[in-house]
Amino acid sequence: MCFPESTDDVAFAVQIANQFKMPFVARGSGTGLAGGATPLDGALVIVTTRMNRIIEVDPSARYAWVEPGVLNLDLTRAVTYLGVHYAPDPSSQQACTIGGNVGTNAGGPHCLAAGVTSAHVLAVDVVLPDGSIERLGSLAPDTPGLDLRGGFVGSEGTMGIATRIAVRLTPNPPEIRTLLADFTAIDDASAAVSAIIAAGIVPAALEMMDAQITRAVEDFVGAGFPRDAEAVLLVEVSGLLGGVEIESDAIDRVCREHGARTVRVAVDPDERALLWKGRKSAFGAVARIAPDYYLHDAVVPRTKLVPVIRRVYEIAEQYELICMNVFHAGDGNLHPLLVFDGREPGIWDRVHAAGDAILTACIEAGGVLSGEHGIGLEKRDAMTLVFDADDLDLQARVRDAFDPDGLANPEKILPKGSRCGEIQRVPEGAWI
Amino acid sequence: MAAGARWAELASTVAAADAVVAVGAGTHADIGGAVVGATEVTVPAGIVAFEPADMTATVNAGTTFAELAHALAEAGQECPLDPRDAEATVGGIVACGLSGARRLGLGPLRNQLLEVTFVTADGRVVRGGGPTVKNVTGYDIPRLFTGSLGTLGILVQVIVRTQPIAAASQWFRSVRDPFDLVAALPDAATIRWDGTETHILLEGHQADIDAQVCAVALEPALPGPQPGTLPDGPHRGRISVEPNRISELADGLRGLDARWAAELGVGTVHIAADDPVAVSAARDVAHHCGGWLLREAGAPELDPFGASFPAAAVQRRLRTALDPTGKLSPGRVPATAPASPVGAAA
Amino acid sequence: MKFDLRLQLDLHLNPDELVACVGCGLCLPHCPTYRVTGEEIASPRGRIAAMRAVADGRAAPDAAFFGAMDACIQCRACEAACPSNVQFGHLMEDTRAAQAPERSRWQRAVEFVAYRGVLPRHRVLTSGTRVLAVAQRLRLVPTRFGLPQLSVRPPTPLAPDPDPDAYLFTGCVMDAWQRDVHRSALRVMRATGARVGLPGAGADCCGALHVHAGRHDEAVALAGRVMGAFPGDAPIVVDSAGCGAALADYGRLVGTADAAAFSARVVDFSTFVAGRSLATRPGSATVVVQDPCHLRHVQRAHLPVAAVLANGYDVKLTADDGLCCGAGGAYSVFEPELSLAVRDRKVAAIRTAAGTDSFVVASANPGCAMHLSAAGLDVRHPAELLEQRLGTD
Ligand SMILES: Cc1cc2nc3c(=O)[nH]c(=O)nc-3n(C[C@H](O)[C@H](O)[C@H](O)COP(=O)(O)OP(=O)(O)OC[C@H]3O[C@@H](n4cnc5c(N)ncnc54)[C@H](O)[C@@H]3O)c2cc1C
Ligand code: SF4
Ligand code: SF4
Repeated sequence: MCFPESTDDVAFAVQIANQFKMPFVARGSGTGLAGGATPLDGALVIVTTRMNRIIEVDPSARYAWVEPGVLNLDLTRAVTYLGVHYAPDPSSQQACTIGGNVGTNAGGPHCLAAGVTSAHVLAVDVVLPDGSIERLGSLAPDTPGLDLRGGFVGSEGTMGIATRIAVRLTPNPPEIRTLLADFTAIDDASAAVSAIIAAGIVPAALEMMDAQITRAVEDFVGAGFPRDAEAVLLVEVSGLLGGVEIESDAIDRVCREHGARTVRVAVDPDERALLWKGRKSAFGAVARIAPDYYLHDAVVPRTKLVPVIRRVYEIAEQYELICMNVFHAGDGNLHPLLVFDGREPGIWDRVHAAGDAILTACIEAGGVLSGEHGIGLEKRDAMTLVFDADDLDLQARVRDAFDPDGLANPEKILPKGSRCGEIQRVPEGAWI
Repeated sequence: MAAGARWAELASTVAAADAVVAVGAGTHADIGGAVVGATEVTVPAGIVAFEPADMTATVNAGTTFAELAHALAEAGQECPLDPRDAEATVGGIVACGLSGARRLGLGPLRNQLLEVTFVTADGRVVRGGGPTVKNVTGYDIPRLFTGSLGTLGILVQVIVRTQPIAAASQWFRSVRDPFDLVAALPDAATIRWDGTETHILLEGHQADIDAQVCAVALEPALPGPQPGTLPDGPHRGRISVEPNRISELADGLRGLDARWAAELGVGTVHIAADDPVAVSAARDVAHHCGGWLLREAGAPELDPFGASFPAAAVQRRLRTALDPTGKLSPGRVPATAPASPVGAAA
Repeated sequence: MKFDLRLQLDLHLNPDELVACVGCGLCLPHCPTYRVTGEEIASPRGRIAAMRAVADGRAAPDAAFFGAMDACIQCRACEAACPSNVQFGHLMEDTRAAQAPERSRWQRAVEFVAYRGVLPRHRVLTSGTRVLAVAQRLRLVPTRFGLPQLSVRPPTPLAPDPDPDAYLFTGCVMDAWQRDVHRSALRVMRATGARVGLPGAGADCCGALHVHAGRHDEAVALAGRVMGAFPGDAPIVVDSAGCGAALADYGRLVGTADAAAFSARVVDFSTFVAGRSLATRPGSATVVVQDPCHLRHVQRAHLPVAAVLANGYDVKLTADDGLCCGAGGAYSVFEPELSLAVRDRKVAAIRTAAGTDSFVVASANPGCAMHLSAAGLDVRHPAELLEQRLGTD
């Protein structure tokens, strides 16, 4: 494990790894949910937490150069006074690093309209797996040749290590309205989501939480989430006043048409912040129900939400597991959480079986494996569910073009052999 | 299925050929180096699926933008690829990587693309990306394909995002400092400056457009030719420069015998001239400002890129890994030559 | 992993509390030691993982383990940030308790004198304070320790009101070193119309430092003495966030219904004042509020401080979610390097928040106040600041 403080330090570490043919793994805050930063086989862990400087901020050209260890929320906080923010806001934004976001192409509630990380990364300085340093992308709109920047974002550390990142800064919207709609049936809430999108509205954010999550979250933040709702939708519209009014009225109407009991509008920024804090604490809060969780991140077409969500609960019931859902409904990005106590004998088999069944159901509905957490180690072997041998072979070639010697975070993303490693929450040995 | 059969046929043609190039409508044929002596193939056209309620469309790569736009408009939607010539095919637009004119407001081309299906050099039909609006399942193959100029594979089908057509859309004009306008109008679809006058396209709800016009004191565009029309001429180039340096660039362009329009806030500058020398001189100016110029049309003597490719070794390895013998659009990009097929060996 | 089995150590941790951590990492940015080191082992998640490994017998409770535990400031910011409700404070206190016999002889010697010999003996401390004051005047005490300027005169005792409807807790360290704060607190409380009582004999040490150091039995004994000193059911106002937190946790520490009832009576000075009416003169001097961890993360009662001060000052808040200042009781003595690194970060955040060179820092905890004073800041207790603005124009 090493803690480089500059691009050169990283390059040096990677060169050493090359000398000894030692695999290496980049790691930010280790909040990744796919095991991407888990070191295998004595890999050298290159931790970026000490590369945490914001190097340059240009509010007029709306970009900032940052080091990879800068925390997502720290960046936004550091630039708010300039009237801009960094748009991708993973629920883990207070803790995760920009480097990790680039590694996983992270999304977040507000990526529905704004787009995920890849849409906000202009350029990256990268230490390639051979230890050389290159700049991919640029502050200019186009770069000659292939879009290697686009290829790199989301490569989970398998194409090298980002050491400096130029991110786009987004002007703060003049008007924001946050609505909380509560439903007495899950199906109604799912149908409302589909209907909002079908009405041609792309809100800034459109999130759903089911009854159990809502209660767990309410215990933590006390934001006034309805404890007796079967599901709530947290919807935000932002932009210019006229559009915000028209769209929030339309959303209010669609929700009520689909059986919403109440639609509450946050009255001030504090109330809005509290609602979002609740949403963003949801994963953590599940331990209030049972100590372990197993999480998928599939995406389905937004027109299929009702049947898919229904199916997810059926599967959980069939395997006698508690299933909770809190997810980026607006882009169809499900986060079905199976919660359980891992100390119960035989439980892991059931969890795996239910997880597989859920994934299969999502893919049959025209979905994909992961919307934002990445493939890493955990979903690696499920890649064959969506890609055939030729598709995977092509991806392997692309990867090898970046990393001919196979030292950058090997064993991740692309399947090789059978499922390996237990689904552990914190990588073993991460604290050593 | 017919498309499947066409793909298989195409795949065997590609597998058998020594050199092969896909041709679309030929609207962007001057981009990149000339391809000579390659088997020309065309790919199927047609809209395969369009799900307005999901805001995605599956389109065969040979479909023209005009056809796509027409089909989407029936459901009140659009896909803002906005090529200069609506007869351009979707596959061609993607391969050339040219973002549309409303990039400031609607983002670059690469953000529109969700999935690509293509025929590989060795004659396989391969898919990358996925059909959903959000996806990190595997590597971002669609982004690698935007701007690949047909050197990674022959695109046969793509899935794109669509979006509702704005309720209102209107061009305005202003003689204010153009760079102030960029700051004052963060929601503009495009702000285009030709060195004297600025044209602004506002889209959205009418009330918001009115409010912006009022706040920034914009004037309606003059009647006459579409204010959004890009400069035209036999010799054309597209400059890419940091948005911060456009005014510096403009100072350099002023002395040239060329027409130009800069997309403020983006950094794309469209340039057209009657004499190729002016395009060449514009390239020098671009280089001086840390940018580069892509030859878009004409200027046959001019190097197509005039700039080195960053991380050239990786670019070369990537092309070689996907096309070990260099049969795909040979000559399109500078020498992929000394290819040690590293990736293919693994 | 192999290790000497004789080193196995039962941490006596509550297994349910231990597994409650799902490793989400949401606590990381709130942890001062993680912030300055960037190392997982210096983070709450890393520390819990380490405790878990030791509790499961997968790792040895070796020097590295103890080092990691000792490096924790016990600010409990992680606990407030944790959506899983992980009781980090308890886990760490229990670990320290198990670890107490393993600590170095030097540390134990220092602690023995401090915890047994000085703190619970009011008179020893008061006279010791006077010696210290003289030493300070003679510049014998390194400024790193950040002691406030001490008075050489023996303190004049505080006078209680008859028939009190609220008590002021006076404690040990604070009573001796910052008697002026009590005086101010008393005046402000009276200005709100309260009749303020003072504790009877026995309330000379809340036991907080003992709990932190894992000296459980001594802490329980001290708690018993304190509870006996506050008859009746009037609220017990505490003007030291650390003592307040300790008193408010007697319910758990002692584990009796009486103790729980006692804890429910405990209220921080600013919360008490905020709930009553107080006439103050408005003013424009800049005050940056520093949230002591024991107020913000443990008692979760930091908001009233800014609220009460806002009536007399231009109040500024730091933008660091109340990150710890690095004082942590005896922490600054045992872990000087980390403590100073954490303090540097805090001082920078305070200066940024102030936005001017002329400002005062309000801190409701003497430990924080001393620590920050030593960094050259002008730190006052909210009670002192309020006292200056009492009355009407
Ligand atoms: C409570 C909670 C909520 C979450 N919510 C979301 C959400 O809403 N949206 C979302 O997308 N994710 C979410 N996540 C997942 C996670 O936070 C993101 O994946 C995040 O981007 C990881 O950042 P990190 O700094 O922790 O990276 P790590 O976990 O340390 O690493 C993640 C991956 O990126 C690679 N990597 C790290 N740094 C670099 C670098 N400098 N260069 C190249 N590769 C690198 C690693 O090798 C690894 O493969 C959530 C996680 C938690 C615990
Ligand atoms: S202590 Fe809480 S916040 Fe920290 S990692 Fe564990 S569960 Fe998450
Ligand atoms: S108590 Fe404070 S120092 Fe200790 S782990 Fe928690 S946040 Fe970090």
